[in-house]
Amino acid sequence: MNIQLQVVGHALRAVAEEMGAALVRSAFSANIKERRDCSTALFDARGRMVAQAEHIPVHLGAMPDAVAAVMEHRPGPDDVFVLNDPFSGGTHLPDVTLVSRTELGFAVSRAHHADVGGVEPGSMPAGSHTLAEEGVVIPPTRLDERTLEALVAQMRNPDERRGDFRAQLAAHRLAAERVSELAARHGADRVRAAMDELIAYSERVVRAGIARLPDGRYEAADVLEARDGELELRVVVTVEGSALAVDFAGTAPQHGGNLNCPLAVTRSATFFVVRCVTDPDVPASAGAFAPVSVSAPRGSLVNAEPGAAVAGGNVETSCRIVDVLFRAFGRAVDVPAQGQGTMNNLTLGSDRFTYYETLGGGQGACPDADGPSGVHVTMSNTLTTPVEALELAHPLRVRRHELRLGSGGAGRRRGGNGVVRELQALEPCRASILSDRRVHAPDGARGGEPGLPGRNLLNGKELPSKTTVDLAAGDVLRLETPGGGGWGRR
Amino acid sequence: MAVLGVDVGGTFTDAVLVTDSGVRTAKVRTSTRQEESALAAARAVGASALERFTHGTTVATNALLERKGARTAFVTTAGFEHMLHLRRQDRAHLYRLCENHPPPLVPLERCMGVRERLGPDRVLEPLDLGSLPELEAEAIAVCLLFSFRDPSHERAVAHELRRRHPHAHVVASHEVAPEFREYERASTAAADAYLGPALGGYLQRLGEEARARGLPEPLVMRSSGGVASLEEAAAHASWALLSGPAGGVVGAARVAASAGFEDAIAFDMGGTSTDVCLITGGVAERSVERSIAGLPIRLPSVDVHTVGAGGGSIAWVDAGGALRVGPESAGADPGPACYGAGGTRPTVTDANLLLGRLPARLPDGLELDRDAAARALGEIDPQDVVDVVNAEMLGALRVVSVERGRDPRGLALVAFGGAGPLHACALAEELGVETVLVPEAAGVLSALGLAVGDERRDHVRSVVRPLAEVPDLPDEGEADLRYRGQSFELTVSLGPDLAGRFHRLHQERYGYAARDRELELVAIRTADVRPGPELRLPPVAAATATGPALIELDGATCWLPPGWVGVRDGSGWRLTKA
Repeated sequence: MNIQLQVVGHALRAVAEEMGAALVRSAFSANIKERRDCSTALFDARGRMVAQAEHIPVHLGAMPDAVAAVMEHRPGPDDVFVLNDPFSGGTHLPDVTLVSRTELGFAVSRAHHADVGGVEPGSMPAGSHTLAEEGVVIPPTRLDERTLEALVAQMRNPDERRGDFRAQLAAHRLAAERVSELAARHGADRVRAAMDELIAYSERVVRAGIARLPDGRYEAADVLEARDGELELRVVVTVEGSALAVDFAGTAPQHGGNLNCPLAVTRSATFFVVRCVTDPDVPASAGAFAPVSVSAPRGSLVNAEPGAAVAGGNVETSCRIVDVLFRAFGRAVDVPAQGQGTMNNLTLGSDRFTYYETLGGGQGACPDADGPSGVHVTMSNTLTTPVEALELAHPLRVRRHELRLGSGGAGRRRGGNGVVRELQALEPCRASILSDRRVHAPDGARGGEPGLPGRNLLNGKELPSKTTVDLAAGDVLRLETPGGGGWGRR
Repeated sequence: MAVLGVDVGGTFTDAVLVTDSGVRTAKVRTSTRQEESALAAARAVGASALERFTHGTTVATNALLERKGARTAFVTTAGFEHMLHLRRQDRAHLYRLCENHPPPLVPLERCMGVRERLGPDRVLEPLDLGSLPELEAEAIAVCLLFSFRDPSHERAVAHELRRRHPHAHVVASHEVAPEFREYERASTAAADAYLGPALGGYLQRLGEEARARGLPEPLVMRSSGGVASLEEAAAHASWALLSGPAGGVVGAARVAASAGFEDAIAFDMGGTSTDVCLITGGVAERSVERSIAGLPIRLPSVDVHTVGAGGGSIAWVDAGGALRVGPESAGADPGPACYGAGGTRPTVTDANLLLGRLPARLPDGLELDRDAAARALGEIDPQDVVDVVNAEMLGALRVVSVERGRDPRGLALVAFGGAGPLHACALAEELGVETVLVPEAAGVLSALGLAVGDERRDHVRSVVRPLAEVPDLPDEGEADLRYRGQSFELTVSLGPDLAGRFHRLHQERYGYAARDRELELVAIRTADVRPGPELRLPPVAAATATGPALIELDGATCWLPPGWVGVRDGSGWRLTKA
């Protein structure tokens, strides 16, 4: 490979990283600053992703749709577009995406804002039935001062939202400056050639990885625990040479709750698994996705129609898409046992405050290693909020936070343990829990034992996996997260 | 004046003796007993009648990397016993699912709880010392929730543990890092306890042997870039984790200042890794937290940014056909192929030799084997290897300058370490830096920094309150500030117009300022500083060089590319574009 192009490519990736670092360090939403629930990327002028700094995998393959949606509006050189509509470039409503032009293409940032309006504080309602209930739906829109003010006025804590928007906008200005500097130093043509090469490089690496998988057709199914009954996910993975087709035909139709996914989220989850089984270190770019085709029936749980509620799709259904895909790949090659398969989303809030957290659990064991304990296992990798930071900021008390010892499945390699966390409300508030694997345990692999399913308790009384409850001062919520499956017979 | 600096590194121990008549240097092999190497180096350089003996050590760092610290226990608030194991719940690698972080320093069975609970502003549950379990350990770390606000419970627990276990090394978190965020504080306290006995024992032996040989009691370089007494250093081992790199940065700052540059970048490229650090106003930039061997350590340290590539890094072609350099290194053994000690894989040093940037024979007498280098590189173009490793270095230099809102033009690049002076000019061109400074003692600059480093004691007070509500700020020192609602702080020096300077720094770093938002004061940092000896380097023979040229230095070689000129004056070479 041409070394000069490689060197410029290195610099382009550094720009995406720098954008991300600046956003995390200057944002206000706990989701962005403490949990790093945000990603930044550069695209070329044709709308192909060149480099991405993803802090959590759920954003991996979902950004190209945002750029495509904005390109339809023919953005001018100084325009910044905002969107969050899951059916027009977004994922779920709290993920607010900005797209702006650079001299040689586009810059994109996506960040999970603490609140975007809707019926519940935190905009992650456990019981929503339509998209409109989940918050403000923003189709691709030119972002100027007036639009910004009009948007934040529809959200809780508009002052903090304004701060997050400013942090995102600053990251975009930085990207535009850096890309222009690169063009000035190396020449625009060379930077464009480097973009092409980054894309071609990722494609070569992923194709080489797919070629190592045995050709064949691999099927699997798994279930999600919805309020209105179980929902089945089905997939067929076809490996043929250096290309891969993934088809979700047979998956349950979209439902009346909020576990629906736009196709962008389904694609992200698929790219995540492909990356794990091919080359975990491949740089994210359009090329990495090129050898993979994803199809799903319209109107199904994993390709919902516009207007469907999706709050839980991005965080919970995406986990199950990963599980079912690993199960299918497991018929071809050794893959890890199932991990906790949920993000254990907990939102607490009132008119006075909003607090959102997600909890780690057990990772499934791998053929060559025990599963790590108390971590996010698939599409998330967000941090815990320190007890001292949480209690200084909110009327909440953490009573207990510990490993759930013995919850990982036994096997030649052990599954990771889940965690136990108890939160006490110090004043009345509402709690929304979006969790899964409370009934069906994470499965072991190659004869390994399953992990323990999770539990949600209010003052010692069992709650369902998805619920919204009113808390009185003194009430204690206890979440026990699932353990990962074991690998191999002991 | 006679001051001595001794830097004990992994392979070699360097000594620099600064006297009124000149600078003498010496290098000896590091033995397993570091105190012997330190004294052997002192002897080799001819140290006598010393006014000051300062020393940089890797004992604490090695004990952490090799996991050879004390058998340690951890005591915290009941209900949170697993704090060190839960960490912040992030996994080690996004796509290699079973990759794990390095295990915590204290295993689960020695993580204990005591019944008590403080809240943000009051006692929620009184301390019950009777609930403190029996334990067996050589070291004990104590970290209770909210001890940064009110250390009374933590102090009482530590006192009781010291009474019960008079031979154990007990560390309370508020003694070492009284700052909020319990996991990071606990991790720091655990490392401090775990490393204490190893570093303490070593320093005691070193002190005794120095006394026996008529040398002054050694001072010890800490991560902050300041030196402390032997006793202070032994009390808190985690402060010494960056002892070596801190010496290099201090040395670079002195070199830059004596050449008339208050602002510079220290560029230390060694065999397996490279450290870079921004120097502002003559002092190294500091950070308040960093990750060392995968553990967060919340203590003031020089803000060195490290990349895993150096002269010994191995070049290879990956599955996508891209040429990569490092992180694998040929190390000291076998070393680069051209050292003729059995290395067969191509390294950066081999590429530099083939490009004519290294002499046929190194100053220490080693003949370099050109054929071996050519065989190792095979089809790989040596210029490509240098370009790839330079891209890596350039990234690191940008992290500490451009990405922190600092324009590198106008800064000087101080190049040292065995490989720094080989790559510095090319990097300077890319960055727009006009002056490269290469000290005469480029191979032993860390030891020079030790010899002349300031004495320094850092103090921190955790506040976490609106800035407007905090009266009586000290006149000197630093404040950790943020906009209320943010999670990361920026450190601003105390003094007039604190708020205005915070807004400007925020604008510089992150591209915007929110002047209407309330500011929160998270911590106040102060330091007692006693300046180290002045560095008066004796005049050396003036010389000039015009690129392309090789300049041989003490322990390093400098490559002057075409179009560059070098002038030797005072403390070393000043390289500029013709």
